Amino acid sequence: MTAAPHSARFEELLPAYALGALDGDDLRELEEHLTAGCEECRRQLELWDRDLEALAGSVVPVEPSETTRARVLRMTAGAATAVPPPRRLPRWLALAAAALLVMAVWGVAGQTRLRGELERLTAERDRLARQVAVLDREVTLARDAAERSAQALQVVAAPGVKSVVLAGLGPAPQAKGQTYVNPRQGGALFYAFDLPALPQGKTYELWYIAAGKPVPAGTFAVDPHGAASVRVERVPDVSSIQAWAVTVEPAGGVPQPTGAMVLKG
Amino acid sequence: MSRVAAHDGAAFTRLFEHHAPVTLGLLSRILGRRMEAEEVLQEVFLQVWTQADRYDADRSTPRGYILMLARSRALDRLRRRDASRRREEVVGAEQGEAVSPLGTERLESLERRRQVTGALDSLSPDQRRCIELAFFEGLTHTQIAERLEAPLGTVKSRILLGMNKLRQTLSAELQ
Repeated sequence: MTAAPHSARFEELLPAYALGALDGDDLRELEEHLTAGCEECRRQLELWDRDLEALAGSVVPVEPSETTRARVLRMTAGAATAVPPPRRLPRWLALAAAALLVMAVWGVAGQTRLRGELERLTAERDRLARQVAVLDREVTLARDAAERSAQALQVVAAPGVKSVVLAGLGPAPQAKGQTYVNPRQGGALFYAFDLPALPQGKTYELWYIAAGKPVPAGTFAVDPHGAASVRVERVPDVSSIQAWAVTVEPAGGVPQPTGAMVLKG
Repeated sequence: MSRVAAHDGAAFTRLFEHHAPVTLGLLSRILGRRMEAEEVLQEVFLQVWTQADRYDADRSTPRGYILMLARSRALDRLRRRDASRRREEVVGAEQGEAVSPLGTERLESLERRRQVTGALDSLSPDQRRCIELAFFEGLTHTQIAERLEAPLGTVKSRILLGMNKLRQTLSAELQ
């Protein structure tokens, strides 16, 4: 088969051919034409190749990592000075070089596997780190709970502890409360049960009445079961306490009770 | 390159230092994944080291030879890869953050890059898109037409007109 003579049509196919974008009949016809040895097309194709080289070089350069640099430059280790290669390599040397090349290529392929492994291990490490964080939090919570229990035990398990039961009033008749006062330490514990949750901006406030006056003993919120506890560091004179009460107050608490009383005893 | 072909390690080191950043830039642009781009960079320079005697100074510059070798290898990888999984890793150095201190050679590269970028900017967005799809993603006329849902003839003419304009702008800038 004779290839078609040089024409403008072939010239128009050259840029796309250089780009690698030519396909179908265009590609087949141009390749036949080039194979037939059209010098003009060859010359023009080289010019297009030069343009594409410029296009390739238009990207933003990226500095290779130190690892890549070291790996690449290690290939030339032991060949730091120019040594003209022998015209024909001895057979054993050619075989050794081929083996080294295979090993180098195998090494690069191995990196792909290693990268997969690295990604898996990184994910596993992150999962374990999350687990450790959860366990850490649980340990802290458990330690706090143990601390609170120990403090409570110090108040309750002492000789002469006075206990007062508080009953629910008006808005929360089902609620109950109990206080324990340690006369020796002057510390007190208060537990509340079955109190309703309060709307935002409101808080429960505990009071003890001494010498006919209410003294604030701390604010608290209840858990989803309506329970709460308050530890009162120090009550001045245990014998002067006449009663305990809980009222509903604005968030943050107030120095004098202003809201509805929900527990008293 | 002739010294590299003679296995001159120092010449190879200079070649790598000079051309590796732009080669890695091209590989990152094509592959979208930095780690994979660095792997291919190693393959490319391994090939340059072992096959430098195949380089023909009449046909291309060393830089052009290395870049086109890199492009060809990167497109081979791209074709093997599931296209939908592309570009999941953002190339951190996209803004050129890791470019070495400017030397004379760097300034020349920067100038050349500025010229080509300027020439690309002179194309219509459609022409530029078609050329970039062919060059950086290795798509053929038919594949580009499918990707852009445009008629095949339109894609062909966008590439032809775009490439001609690119050449005109480049040669005007070089003069």
